[in-house]
Amino acid sequence: MTETENGSDLVLDGNAAAGLLQEIFVSDITSARIQCGACGSIAAVGSLRLYAAQMGAVLRCVHCDGVVMRAVHTSHDRWLEMTGARSLRFGRL
Amino acid sequence: MSEPPISRGFRSRRQEQTPKNRLPPGQYVTTDFPVLSAGPTPQIKVENWTFTLQLGGAILGTWNWAEFETLPQTTIKTDIHCVTKWSKLDTAWQGVTFDDLLKAVGLSEPPAPYIMAHCDGGYTTNVPPADLVGGQGMIATRYEGLPILPMHGGPARLLVPHLYFWKSAKWVRRLRFMEKDERGFWESLGYHNYGDPWKEQRYDGD
Amino acid sequence: MTAIDSTASPARRLEWQQAEVREIVTETFRVKSLLLRVASWPGHFPGQHVDIRLTAEDGYQAQRSYSIASPPEDELLAVTVERVENGEVSPYLVGELRIGDRFELRGPIGGYFVWTVPTGGPLCLIAGGSGMAPLMAMLRHRDRQKAHIPGSVLYSSRSLEDVIYRNELDGMAQCDSNLRVIYTLTRKQPEEWLGPRRRIDKALLAEVCYPPDKNPKIFVCGPTSLVEEVARMLVELGHEPQTIKTERFGPTGA
Repeated sequence: MTETENGSDLVLDGNAAAGLLQEIFVSDITSARIQCGACGSIAAVGSLRLYAAQMGAVLRCVHCDGVVMRAVHTSHDRWLEMTGARSLRFGRL
Repeated sequence: MSEPPISRGFRSRRQEQTPKNRLPPGQYVTTDFPVLSAGPTPQIKVENWTFTLQLGGAILGTWNWAEFETLPQTTIKTDIHCVTKWSKLDTAWQGVTFDDLLKAVGLSEPPAPYIMAHCDGGYTTNVPPADLVGGQGMIATRYEGLPILPMHGGPARLLVPHLYFWKSAKWVRRLRFMEKDERGFWESLGYHNYGDPWKEQRYDGD
Repeated sequence: MTAIDSTASPARRLEWQQAEVREIVTETFRVKSLLLRVASWPGHFPGQHVDIRLTAEDGYQAQRSYSIASPPEDELLAVTVERVENGEVSPYLVGELRIGDRFELRGPIGGYFVWTVPTGGPLCLIAGGSGMAPLMAMLRHRDRQKAHIPGSVLYSSRSLEDVIYRNELDGMAQCDSNLRVIYTLTRKQPEEWLGPRRRIDKALLAEVCYPPDKNPKIFVCGPTSLVEEVARMLVELGHEPQTIKTERFGPTGA
């Protein structure tokens, strides 16, 4: 994928956050299906809309724009917040 | 852990002729104005816009757009520093200072030691009112003389340029005074609670 | 590198390692492919990407993601880079980098936007601009495996000169009656151009993509606006949302 030039905010997707998420989950979660806590819709993590990629990852539901997951890689550690998700389901479809 | 290898011939294009004391540590000057948002740009109509100062359950003051525009206007020129390492020098902003907001609601000083800024789209950031008084902070409505573009936080954003720019919350609608500090959107996810660029307080623990 | 078991999904830490540039291929006037040797490369699936990190002498670092354009069967790892106006990293990768240079790389990353031969088809690939890169890895993998899984490619570019991998795509289509490649040129077309001359719309999608009852595996990659538009139109054409896999590249491209 091309780069986010000039630090411009480009709406990417969960695929672009895969590296950061793999630092946290140790395995790739882009295929995992996540249920939005706000509207209940289910989508693959890789298909979620990604914001603020330069600061971390803010993954939002494609249907309702609710924040489903957030992650940050600081200089000391990694943070993950998933209060916007009802569930995360791994494994093959 | 060993040093990462230098990429031959790669130079940060952000290096420019800058007096050393203008740039906080680790920052690079940019001439463009990068956009970074935690969510989609809210499309706000000024006819529906209000701004509120709140303390507990009480509204200290609330203004619609027309009313807000009649408050004393201040213009400043300042440098801004983003935690993602870009800095932009000599940016011009116009708006209502926090001091004038307090005056407008009949207060000579902040009624509580902490503030949470609440914004359209749900973004929040916490900043001590001590860092907003004395001309340090404003609710800005113009950038370079023109209405702030939606992608840059228009119609109004908080402006606290002496802190990292994530504290200058876009699409601000309400400042809520708090007796106890609470962490905002980024502060609760690993970013520094205060965010002084001159002390390079990017992350919690810095 | 041998073909990989597509059900394998090892949990492992992503580590930065060194990549060495072995070959540079000029694809278009704006686009180059870098062929890299990565010492401890574990193999990858078509569609995955890598993160590349550059470090300047003053310690400044820049990191970007690029899709892997080579199939797992190839020895060297290929990333295709489009030079972005006023960019920070791409002008370096496309303009300055020389054979023998090294930089840091980690990967492969991503398991969602992946297709391998065992997944089956028919395969429907829709690309805008440099979004063709991960889809090319899929097509090359299909080719190396000599799998004649029916495939249909719709590739949107600004002009013919902007079409990446054109000769290779034409070659694949010519040799394989099961593969169809359609280019649509959105801004500039040669006079004699008989193909579509417009942005991807529902009619084009209906024409190129297999109908929903054939259960195609659909991959869409390119600028965010194109990807979201195409996905929406495909759903309107009756495709189930979960059969459409998307990867957004940002604003550049067709």
